[in-house]
Amino acid sequence: MKAQRLGAWIAVILGASYFVIPLIGTIEFSLRMRRGEYSLDAYESVFSDIQFRETFGYSMLMALLTIVFGMLLVVPTAYWVRLRLPQMRPVVEFITLLPLVIPAIVIVFGYLRMYNSSSYLPLTGSTTGTNILLVFSYITLSLPYMYRAVDTAMRAIDVRTLTEAAESLGARWTTIMFKCIFPNVMSGVLSGAFITLAIVMGEFTFAALLNRPAFGPYLQLVGANKAYEPSALAVIAFSITWLSMGLLNLVSRFGKAAPAKA
Amino acid sequence: MSFLTLNNIQKSFGPVQVVKNFNMTIEKGEFISFLGPSGCGKTTVLRMIAGFETPTGGTLTINGKDQSSLKPNQRNIGMVFQAYALFPNMTVHDNVAFGLKVAGAPKPEIDARVKEMLGLIKLDHLADRFPYQLSGGQQQRVALARALAVKPQVLLLDEPLSALDAKIRVSLREEIRQIQQQLGITTVFVTHDQEEALSISDRIVVMNAGKADQIGSPFEIYNTPATRFVASFVGTLNLIEAKVVDPDTNRIQIGDQGITLKQSVAAHKAGETISLALRPEAGSLSDSVKSDTALTGQVVSAHFLGSVIRTRMNVGGNVISFDMFNSPGTTPPQAGETVTLRFMAADLLIIRD
Repeated sequence: MKAQRLGAWIAVILGASYFVIPLIGTIEFSLRMRRGEYSLDAYESVFSDIQFRETFGYSMLMALLTIVFGMLLVVPTAYWVRLRLPQMRPVVEFITLLPLVIPAIVIVFGYLRMYNSSSYLPLTGSTTGTNILLVFSYITLSLPYMYRAVDTAMRAIDVRTLTEAAESLGARWTTIMFKCIFPNVMSGVLSGAFITLAIVMGEFTFAALLNRPAFGPYLQLVGANKAYEPSALAVIAFSITWLSMGLLNLVSRFGKAAPAKA
Repeated sequence: MSFLTLNNIQKSFGPVQVVKNFNMTIEKGEFISFLGPSGCGKTTVLRMIAGFETPTGGTLTINGKDQSSLKPNQRNIGMVFQAYALFPNMTVHDNVAFGLKVAGAPKPEIDARVKEMLGLIKLDHLADRFPYQLSGGQQQRVALARALAVKPQVLLLDEPLSALDAKIRVSLREEIRQIQQQLGITTVFVTHDQEEALSISDRIVVMNAGKADQIGSPFEIYNTPATRFVASFVGTLNLIEAKVVDPDTNRIQIGDQGITLKQSVAAHKAGETISLALRPEAGSLSDSVKSDTALTGQVVSAHFLGSVIRTRMNVGGNVISFDMFNSPGTTPPQAGETVTLRFMAADLLIIRD
């Protein structure tokens, strides 16, 4: 029994070391910009770089737009599939899983072929159009996570009965959607939103090939040209992801504290 | 003129016809129960009244107005669901106020109406609670208040007591009936529980395989079931096979024992087999009870059920159950013993299939 316990601890420590040691190494290296002593110079350098602020702000905006439009696409879709088209469920699930099996590079080349400046819908012909295309790309990329998070939240409430109860009280579908359904799947929506934020902030392929000033390509650029700043950026990126994960946990716990029972 | 009319209503899901030529008229302020087993179509009829299902055929009118073209949110019908269906993100107050807010009622009016409704269900002290902080019975009362708050022209109750425990079920059904009578609201109640239907309804519709087998008062449904299904579904009933001996004198034969019925058997030929129904409580072994008919048979078994002893006896191949009230001096009959069951011939009813 004791040997088993010891074995389990060794496995946990080995597993944790695999993740923690490189992280500690990265953090430690990011603090060694000044010779002979630890400092936050690398972070200062990153934060004072205007390109950092621009790309970070740009990616945050893209992430926000992705979350908003992703939600507007996913929540009604998941709702209608549950309510009116349950037979379409396997098809929709398959479609939402496609971004996991089709490489991003294939998707972006498809987009470039479909929406280039000489196509019927020349989105890449303008900056706004390319930004829109990038948001759509990010929505595609986050679809597997967003759809599942929302669908799971909808499973926890009896969507059909809630809808019928609201209808019998005179509500139209917009009222039903925004007053009765959205607030009750908010934990799922937020979970999806945080995962989307983490994905968008580190995404490289779409942004680079669509030539947009996003945070992902900036990370790659700095990594290729500087020594200490890439480590600082990696730590910042990690922190953003962890913050998202922490918020996700918090939202899940909040959801459990006030269960959405129909 | 009747208030709610269901005229030749039909409903099919693909090739399966779940409601077949359903006809019924309901008066204003009536409490009607749809009673039947699972899958008999009772909930489908209710959902068609609510507008959640579209009839395949027939017409549905409320207060003389055809409802076919109206969506559920245009019908002004209150509905209470088995699963409560309270909005989890809203407090009790907000749940009850929901329909009024949707209708655009002014805030003071909403607050006054919510207070009145919560007072009606005696939950005014829980206005700030969320649904998950309430018991099942409380949630269902809030659902009732929410449905009534908008002053609906018809109240539909879809098995509202099924998810509750036995004690709450009894008290809540009495509360529902009391509120219904107080407000005089036309109510349609769906249940598979015969006791519920018998205890609170003005009339009961016993449904079987998509059609109404019998529509009548609880007294009529219980005492004079029209079909074999109604007889077997409502209460415990003995179904006895008998042979017509003389249609002119209503003389029949059960096994080798002859009986004269009160009901006419003129529609049947001599020698034809008919089904008769007899409630277990209609018979007695005692010769002191009022009776004009008797059947003799052998006791198969006697089960002590607390207040009553249910005895099964064999009469010419028919097993007949009857109940005896338990008292300290009562000796239950023994298996194999020959006994005579006495009853009124009027209690023996001819049942059509």
